[in-house]
Amino acid sequence: MIPRPYFESPIVMTTVRLVAPFALTYGIFVTLHGAGSPGGGFQGGVVITSVVIMIAFAFGVGPTLDWTDERVVAGLFGGGVLAFGAVTLITVPFGGSLLRVDALPIPTKYAIEAVEVFIGAIVAGVVTSLFFLLSEGGEEE
Amino acid sequence: MTLALELALVGFVLSTAAATALLRDLLASIVVFAAFSLGVSIIWVILQAPDVALTEAAVGAGVMSVLLLVTVAKTARSPDDAPLVSVNPKALAVVLVLVLVLVTTLPALPPVGDATAPALQETNEGGTTPYGYYIGNAYDETGVENAVTAVLVFYRGFDTFGEAVVVFSAVVGALILFGGGMRRETE
Repeated sequence: MIPRPYFESPIVMTTVRLVAPFALTYGIFVTLHGAGSPGGGFQGGVVITSVVIMIAFAFGVGPTLDWTDERVVAGLFGGGVLAFGAVTLITVPFGGSLLRVDALPIPTKYAIEAVEVFIGAIVAGVVTSLFFLLSEGGEEE
Repeated sequence: MTLALELALVGFVLSTAAATALLRDLLASIVVFAAFSLGVSIIWVILQAPDVALTEAAVGAGVMSVLLLVTVAKTARSPDDAPLVSVNPKALAVVLVLVLVLVTTLPALPPVGDATAPALQETNEGGTTPYGYYIGNAYDETGVENAVTAVLVFYRGFDTFGEAVVVFSAVVGALILFGGGMRRETE
């Protein structure tokens, strides 16, 4: 493996410090507003991940990984899949077929937005994991 | 004016696509590929598909490039002098013929945003069309303003669940492949 030097750049670090909160807000906005505007869980999850990648580019992948709790990342995609699966099943006791969220006693729009949030969690967790795995994972040679 | 912009955009996308295929250096190829994705995402906006445009910009131009970059960074760059790969003329001819065949279908497409397009009608000769049904009923049945989201989560929910599980399986596979978590093993 060739060494990949990390250059500490005050310009990049400051820019990321300024931009990251807005990018994170935008990612959450896209995830939550998939029902009313373009976007949704897939896109929002990726935008949220881009914040992690931005921080990693500014401060180094290793330190970013040290600040990240892997259990949270794994919990995001594991819990997201479980929650989506639960939504699939929970419609049955209310008299609907599998995933017929219009059978739930809450407005269908909110059920759809909840599913979008679960998708966002899955995508954010998965892409963050892939990024860390591809850049830092594996055994040192 | 708009047509000139569109043509420039198509030219940009085609040239970046060709450069992605022809450049020998993987790093350069990835950078050009990101530019290609960005151009395609703007084309999606012009074609009135903002959901696809957002996905293309976020996944294609953003995260995909980063994942490819961190992967290529682990490989050695070949000190080869030739900047472009050599093209097999026969393969090029086959590709050109294929493109020509596909281009012959273009005149059959309806104009962008044409409300009278057959696929968008609630019914046509073949009976009820799914797209027409979604556009006509998505808001009444789900209360969701964005019909794409309604199709994604409500009408085609199982597909989306399958996609989510596929993405989940991909990362589980990657975790197993790399063996032992995201953190680099320290001796």
